[in-house]
Amino acid sequence: MATIATSAAIHHALVLDRQELAPGVVLLGFDAPELVRVTRPGQFVMAVPPGGERAATALGIYEASGNRASVMFFVVGKRTAELASLGAGDYITLAGPLGNGFTIDASVRSAAIVAGGVGIASVLLPAQALVRGGARVRLFYGARSAALLVDRERFASDGCEVLVSTDDASMGHAGYVTELLAQTADPPDMILACGPTPMLRAVARLSQEMNVPAQLSLEETFGCGVGGCWGCVVPILRTSEQAPSFPPADRNGSDVVYARVCREGPVFWAHELRW
Amino acid sequence: MVNVSGVDLSVRIGKLELPYPTFMGSGCYGSGEEFAPFVDLARIGAVVLKSVTRLPRLGNPTPRLVHTPAGMLNAIGLQNPGIDWYLEHEVAKFASRPCAVVGSVAGFSVDDYAYVGERLAACDEIHALEVNISCPNVASEGETFACDPKLTAKVVRAVRATTDKTVIVKLSPNVTDIASIACEAEAAGADALAVINTVRGMAIDVDRWSPRLGNVTGGLSGAAIRPIAVLAVYEVSRAVKIPIVGQGGIETTSDALEFFLAGASAISIGTANFTDPRIPVRIAEELVLYLQERKLRSLAQIVGKANVGFSNPYQYEGDEG
Repeated sequence: MATIATSAAIHHALVLDRQELAPGVVLLGFDAPELVRVTRPGQFVMAVPPGGERAATALGIYEASGNRASVMFFVVGKRTAELASLGAGDYITLAGPLGNGFTIDASVRSAAIVAGGVGIASVLLPAQALVRGGARVRLFYGARSAALLVDRERFASDGCEVLVSTDDASMGHAGYVTELLAQTADPPDMILACGPTPMLRAVARLSQEMNVPAQLSLEETFGCGVGGCWGCVVPILRTSEQAPSFPPADRNGSDVVYARVCREGPVFWAHELRW
Repeated sequence: MVNVSGVDLSVRIGKLELPYPTFMGSGCYGSGEEFAPFVDLARIGAVVLKSVTRLPRLGNPTPRLVHTPAGMLNAIGLQNPGIDWYLEHEVAKFASRPCAVVGSVAGFSVDDYAYVGERLAACDEIHALEVNISCPNVASEGETFACDPKLTAKVVRAVRATTDKTVIVKLSPNVTDIASIACEAEAAGADALAVINTVRGMAIDVDRWSPRLGNVTGGLSGAAIRPIAVLAVYEVSRAVKIPIVGQGGIETTSDALEFFLAGASAISIGTANFTDPRIPVRIAEELVLYLQERKLRSLAQIVGKANVGFSNPYQYEGDEG
């Protein structure tokens, strides 16, 4: 995995545009050239709800190009509701970029990106990077219904093949997006995934069955988002390259330790997770 | 230290002299390095490190955090590498911090505290010790050393005997009479008291019919506990002479002032750093303005000024009521 960012900073960024891509799905674009310059695919920001009284919340960096970066999020609670109230001309305060990001290996010829729901918000940058590197990139994109399959045209225009699934059969494959990946006759040589935990677990199983390495971008409730509170942990193998300096977890010398999703992650190799 | 504004924010806690009266709460701030990209650590008083125990601890099962109204529940469970690993691999990194570094000791027996405290205090990189006798997330049903005056005294006496460095004892709000525990800690040799640790709490997932924390219960922090903490500082400051580091839901300068006026000599900020890591520096700047507006030259002049005792108009003589 990529190394830990040292280029994070607090940005007070002018909001340039706000789109509601579907009911409750908001895309905020903002002016943050410094953030764009240092962001790697799969990193996130801690965005401060403008009410000023709630803890910052982690949002994947959706786009990063020129002066403009963006975040896409579902309005699921009070913090995201406050962020959704921002519009062009307002300022958004965020810390980032944070986390390790995806490993974009130039040797990858065919990549499968699996996104579930709002997980789509973290996979545009890796998709673009893989396409730029000359890889065939297929996006397997699942949502509850067609209306929530947001911005899929963007992925197509950026060079991805887009395959979709919906829980309610309103578009594409009826069922789970991982079923679509399992059906492919032409397996990828790398899987990248972001979405709800049950989907990520299914991707991890598939990765093992297909013998294709998978990088999973995990979601966990964050406290600080910068590695200070150890609230967002996930069990991984101590021998994993993401836990280079971890002590044995207990006196029995267990080979499993809790790593921080915000710091050692959010992207982990599926085969190193012990969840 | 009097800064250019002519206002003195410095504070002395035991032997620890700090240019700013701001501590960063244990377990909320890593070792300080995590927050260094976002805030100038030279403009805070001290970082209180995450607690260390004698043996390595895996910590609690996940989920470990739940956001709740005006606060947050956590049950991390003292995940740490144990004192041997800590001294070998971690402590040297603290030398470069531009602020004071306070080591935090946790344990499961009096001997644990003395053993870890002595080894930690022996490090040049560690300027003072906080004795965490009040973590609500490791012992059975939240029962901690800080819930028992005699055990509090034993632990504090044991750690006190191992070091001349400043010993700060972190008290629990989950007790009937925090002032009596504070008195025991003072008598046993504590240089200062950290008031308060988190308040025990619980949240339940109504879809899954299960507790929302892996540990079932957790410690509540954030604005939700601020009035509880202010009262605890108020009560403790009436009972002891040693300085108090007030903490519990401080987010703004006004919040901080409540603690100073209640009797705290310094404050500690934890959960608010998760909203904005610049809050501690902002509070220090605004305290200067507050004091200047009132023609005051030092923060010490307002410590405890709201402490007027207790008033209960419905109190009757005798015991018939």
